[in-house]
Amino acid sequence: MADRQQPLQARDKLAFLLSLVPWLMDHDGAKVAEAAEHFGMTPAQIREAVELIAVSGVPGETDAYQHGDLFDIDWDAFEERDEIVLTNLVAIDDSPRFSAREAAALIAGLQYLSALPENADRAAIASLMGKLSRGASATPSQVGVEGAATTGAVDTGAGRRALAPDPLASTLALIRESVERGVQLELDYQNSQGQRERRRVDPLRIESIDADWYLRGWCHLREAIRTFRLDRISNAIITEQPIEHRASDSDVRLPDVLFAPSPDDLEVTIEVVPSAMPLLSDFIPDGATSTGHDGRIRTTLRVSHYHGLKRLIASMAGVATVVAPPSARAAVEAWAREGAARYR
Amino acid sequence: MPSSPGPAASATASRVPVEERLFSLVLALLATESGLTKNEILSTVQGYRQRFRAGGDNTNLERQFERDKDDIRDLGVPLETIDSPGDAGNNQMLRYRIPRGAYELPKDVTFTSGETTLLNLAAMVWREGSLSGESRRALLKLRSLGVAAEEPVLGYAPRVRLRDAAFEPLSSALEKHLIVRFPYLKPGEERAREREVIPLALVQYQGRWHLSAEETAPSGSDGDGARKTFLLRRIVGPVVLGKAAPARPGDHAGAALASLDAVWERGVAEVQVVTDSDAATRLTNRRGTERLAASVDAGAPGRAEERLRLHFVDLNILADELAGFGPEVLVIGPPELRGAVISRLERTAHDHG
Repeated sequence: MADRQQPLQARDKLAFLLSLVPWLMDHDGAKVAEAAEHFGMTPAQIREAVELIAVSGVPGETDAYQHGDLFDIDWDAFEERDEIVLTNLVAIDDSPRFSAREAAALIAGLQYLSALPENADRAAIASLMGKLSRGASATPSQVGVEGAATTGAVDTGAGRRALAPDPLASTLALIRESVERGVQLELDYQNSQGQRERRRVDPLRIESIDADWYLRGWCHLREAIRTFRLDRISNAIITEQPIEHRASDSDVRLPDVLFAPSPDDLEVTIEVVPSAMPLLSDFIPDGATSTGHDGRIRTTLRVSHYHGLKRLIASMAGVATVVAPPSARAAVEAWAREGAARYR
Repeated sequence: MPSSPGPAASATASRVPVEERLFSLVLALLATESGLTKNEILSTVQGYRQRFRAGGDNTNLERQFERDKDDIRDLGVPLETIDSPGDAGNNQMLRYRIPRGAYELPKDVTFTSGETTLLNLAAMVWREGSLSGESRRALLKLRSLGVAAEEPVLGYAPRVRLRDAAFEPLSSALEKHLIVRFPYLKPGEERAREREVIPLALVQYQGRWHLSAEETAPSGSDGDGARKTFLLRRIVGPVVLGKAAPARPGDHAGAALASLDAVWERGVAEVQVVTDSDAATRLTNRRGTERLAASVDAGAPGRAEERLRLHFVDLNILADELAGFGPEVLVIGPPELRGAVISRLERTAHDHG
């Protein structure tokens, strides 16, 4: 779990205590390690929580937290065998509801993932969203995310209409099938320098950022882990060649960041309007200095090739301008000029 | 003093951890049928009672209790107040409780291991930004039910970003049902204009966050104002939260997505792309793209081109994207899109000349 090592805030700890008690009631004699694994916590976090639960309770009739007003555990089992046995229960019978925002986050997350092959059964997803709404303490707040259409029809509220399957959903389904059958994927890929090559890939993981989807896999042509944008893939097929690298292999290490900087990267200086800075944050190296110039920000961009740079800058006309080096300015100018020339 | 090993023993300890105080508050309010008054809570509940001064000034402790109430309500714990009969409106006699039925997850809400797997993925979507705490806590509650997730066939690492500065204040206004004001810059306009709206929903469509909102009716008129969709990226200044907004029940997120879908359906552009170029691959892989002709006269010998029909929501955003493809794309129509792409390309060439 990604958040295993994170320190918990007080609200997280409370949510955890309220969640742990019902689980312990259903798992009498559970080991500390088992609880840690299930909740994605460290054994130390579990022990700390159990010790707190064991001395907590209600003021009771005497307002003095008498023995019977408190939870209790079998201390010998806990201290000697790392086993959690609740011997007295108070106040809590069941798991808590989701808050409106918690339910809304999960519902919007499910919508976003509707292109995944796992989500192909729309009726099942609708029923799952319904359960989240009923399991919330108030009406989930209004956050929505568009997902890709996987099936032939989408209910827009104004009646059902036919939609062609989304290319994204088809590619995702093919990738999953290749992993399920344990065979390599073969595809045409347009790399960031515009060259098209036939590649054979062992799929390792699907990643996404907003509307952009990526496949990370072992590329047999490059003999290394590579990242492929799904919308640059065409003519993908499933081969008969068995997969050689899996995400669970010990020698396969997926870097955490999608866009790892390379020593061959080129640095260019640009000026950009402040409101557009977030759009470029993936390309701005850590520690780059930014200074103001006439209401614009001057900063450094790191790009692998001018091929990508000229496209990026041409899609931000009037918003971002390359200042230096001259070769980068010339590449952008030529690109835009050739584009404009098509209309004469 | 009782001889229990419980908190009574540590009653003299100067500091009770926050989570212990909050946990004790929830337990005490769940256990009471008739409710507890604020004074009863402060004088008896673990974490408060250690700092309670009988007959003295408890202002700080009362403030602490107010903050704690907000914290536990934020977690979805329904904290109820009951007016004392015959003494309605008297704050000191107000009784607090957590009704069990509204606190506990309904019995019929259960999840299969397949559903648990999907919900784990759904929570992972919000790894960064203001919804990450919400999804982390939602997962703890889900795990409370004890259902183990299935190991997915293929690993996923989905992520939705909340980079627009306006997201957080708008989401908080939605939560609290407040009217908001913000400066909005429409494309083609020189200056941002101040808008005042009732927020209805925040939706991400094709990678961009939109606010669906109702314009506040001009004073003196009654009836509802017009529904508008605002692109968060075009909110160019601070979002100011205002007074309480009138209730607007309904599935606004669903309606906003459906109306964006309808706009997308109507918005049609025709372009010519260089075969096998980056533009051809990426535009063909866009949802809804149709290939109208596999090969058309490119006007240049040795160059193959094809014609595509695309759908779009916002002409200016599509023009930005198409301008990025430079000479790989020729816009056939509509004329406004063609003009917008030409002026972008000329601007870029000029700025770099």
